[in-house]
Amino acid sequence: MSTVKTALVIGAGPAGMEAAVKIGGAGYRVILADRADSLGGTLRQLCSSFPRWEDPADLIAYKTEQINKCPLITIKTKTTVVAAEKNGNGYLVTLGSDGLTSEIQADAVIIATGFELFDASVYGEYGYGSFDNVVNSLEFEALLKEWQENQGKTASPGTVAFFKCVGSRDRAKGLPYCSRICCMYTAKQAGLVKELFPDSKCYVFYMDYRAAGREYEEFVRSVIEQRHVRYVRGRPAKVLPEDGRLLIRAEDTLMGMPVEIAADMVVLAAAIVPGPGTRQIARLFQIKSDEYGFIDYNRNEPAKAGDRVFFAGACGFAVETLGAIQQGAAAAAEVIALFNQPNGEEKNA
Amino acid sequence: MPDASGIETQAFFKTIKLDAIDDSLPQEIKTACGVDVETCLECGKCSGGCSNVRIFDITPRQVVKLIKTGQEKPLLAMDALWACVSCQLCGDRCPAGIDIARIMDYLREKAYQKGIKATRYQVQLFHELMLGFIKKTGRVAEGQLIIRFNLKTGRYFKDADLGRRLFLKGKIKPFSSKIKNREDLRRIFQESIEREEDQ
Amino acid sequence: MNVAYFPGCSLHGLASEYDRSARLVCRHLGINLEEIEDWNCCGATAAHSLDHKLSVSLGARNLNLVKKMNLHMVTAPCAGCFNRLKTASYELRHNPSMAEEVAAIIKAPAPVETEVSNLLQLFVEQTGVSAIAQKVVRPLSGLKLAAYYGCLLTRPQRIAQFDASEQPVSLDQLLQALGAEPVIWSHKAECCGGGYAASETDIVIDLGGQVLEAARQAGAQAIVVACPMCQANLDTRQKAIEVNRGQKYNLPIIYFTQLMGLAFGYSLRQLGFNQQLNSAVTLLKQRGWG
Repeated sequence: MSTVKTALVIGAGPAGMEAAVKIGGAGYRVILADRADSLGGTLRQLCSSFPRWEDPADLIAYKTEQINKCPLITIKTKTTVVAAEKNGNGYLVTLGSDGLTSEIQADAVIIATGFELFDASVYGEYGYGSFDNVVNSLEFEALLKEWQENQGKTASPGTVAFFKCVGSRDRAKGLPYCSRICCMYTAKQAGLVKELFPDSKCYVFYMDYRAAGREYEEFVRSVIEQRHVRYVRGRPAKVLPEDGRLLIRAEDTLMGMPVEIAADMVVLAAAIVPGPGTRQIARLFQIKSDEYGFIDYNRNEPAKAGDRVFFAGACGFAVETLGAIQQGAAAAAEVIALFNQPNGEEKNA
Repeated sequence: MPDASGIETQAFFKTIKLDAIDDSLPQEIKTACGVDVETCLECGKCSGGCSNVRIFDITPRQVVKLIKTGQEKPLLAMDALWACVSCQLCGDRCPAGIDIARIMDYLREKAYQKGIKATRYQVQLFHELMLGFIKKTGRVAEGQLIIRFNLKTGRYFKDADLGRRLFLKGKIKPFSSKIKNREDLRRIFQESIEREEDQ
Repeated sequence: MNVAYFPGCSLHGLASEYDRSARLVCRHLGINLEEIEDWNCCGATAAHSLDHKLSVSLGARNLNLVKKMNLHMVTAPCAGCFNRLKTASYELRHNPSMAEEVAAIIKAPAPVETEVSNLLQLFVEQTGVSAIAQKVVRPLSGLKLAAYYGCLLTRPQRIAQFDASEQPVSLDQLLQALGAEPVIWSHKAECCGGGYAASETDIVIDLGGQVLEAARQAGAQAIVVACPMCQANLDTRQKAIEVNRGQKYNLPIIYFTQLMGLAFGYSLRQLGFNQQLNSAVTLLKQRGWG
């Protein structure tokens, strides 16, 4: 038994689940660890998906079933990585759960620790944290779920305004990079509101909309043309509570004219940033992260982060669910190829 | 000029031959203001929050864009130069950190030096009168400044009642204080641009 | 603590009650304000609008006078003066060629050492809100106030280096320490029209009107300011704004130093409350403070 190699997968979102399924399917042991109490990661918080309006719960259920069917995968929820040290051709990793620690030997590691949202309260001009009804995009996903579950029983949210690039593409107060997925999930969120409440009004403030992906452009166009979400080009400047509503001031940069919208709710598409857990894991396994804390990749080997350490999903950079799954499979392929080597040695180590 | 819809149309609509433009204006702004207009994302956050954008003929975003495209003429003639209240909201919110208020100061100064008539004559006059006070005494006596301004603009009774109320409240002093070191003042103003002595 | 004091033209004129209350409160807190001898006007807004170098030179001369007093820090109660002094200091520190030119004009090395703080900043950063709370003998309980920072007290953030420019909190915290109740409102850091009260009154009626309306909607009984331009615009133009908007406001526009003095036990007259057009005297006397 001890000759069967073991991979440790840290994080059980779509990337980590996919990696576990593939490695387990190839006949190797997997320990799938996650700090949460169930599988799915951030995907569990999401309501519907782009570009096909599918329910993320179905995807999680499907992957969970695959994992449960595979006797080689051990799930360790409510578990964090406490320590790691190089040990022969692998790592001796200390896992912590409920105040207890245990040690495991991992012959390879996949980091799939996901992302979190940039703290939107940095933008005092938008009033996140100061004014009611200014929420970030994950908080809005929870609302969408609630509305979907109570369909027909909830009052219309009225006018909802979506701000993109909150923290992204801002070298003064935020981050210079584009968070890549906000254009798509914002279209999805606005489209869902219009589906649930056809009499509501939805406005999306954008600098550009970036829909580079299969069926993505068609998806955004359908939200504009069939669901009648209004797109306004311009980055909002200020949210001012007035008469119990939220007055938004912006410039429509195509017209070159100031515009105002009295909204009932403002949704901030906050930038995608790596969570503190990712930094800590990177330190433990002595791998490089970039200046923002995303795990850096090896030239020519995009799934590899270090010696027997691979990564997948949003801990490497903002990525949508489909991309995370593909990256999970790619990282799994690296691990399987490594384990398939005679003596488990890497050729190009 | 308003068209049938009531929307103001801009007077400078004409074809700009982009390939004929050199980068002298952006370079000038970079040297004088320390601002690289190429970092502008053209997002319009500056204009959306501008305190006075409702009465601007050219929005702050367009100002930066016109610098990029070397259009000095409309920039120096624009009403926005004199409607800008220097509140700094634009630059403070700019995701590229572009100091737009500084650019506005620079363009205003340049227009003034070139003798281009301010569209808001009274704003320029107020500035001139104020600088006249500072040049003479080193300080500004607000009450006297406002009285002189209203006399010059022929608005003899504007704020007369307000002035009386403020005087009774002890807020307007009949005498102004002067600074002693005249030599310092002379040097500070000598270096600055020549303008008509205030009568 | 010895601090150089730059009153600026307004505190010698329209805002004399700000000057008086600031001096009283500082003495009470053990801050020794030394007025800069022979200070000159900061030039706002005229100088920087027409002549950048002039505006930096005017500020640099004042900063150099502070240096000559052997003081490290100057405080300016007016947000406009604070902005100009701080900008001059920033230019001298970050623009070597400008620093050189200005040094020649003021015939002294560029005074880069002098620190500039606004008066509110001096209280919250040097004295501390809890030390101020300990001096309160007459808590301003039940007084609902809109803390108004305006545009220049915190902007641009890069230069001002004080509080947060969009949702500032320091004045709210100070008012809370005095026992008052700061309201949550929208326009705490928007612009009132600044120096345009005389030359473009319509601008002040528009922008100042938005500020008054927001304070009214938030249920404030008065607006608290830290800038003579804000005070003058919102107080002297309030009547015109009421006519323009068809809405009575009746909102006293009070300097924060007046409220500190009141909470420390000084009388309304000592603090110049009687000098303001939309007077707070009735509101405060109703509560037995006087």
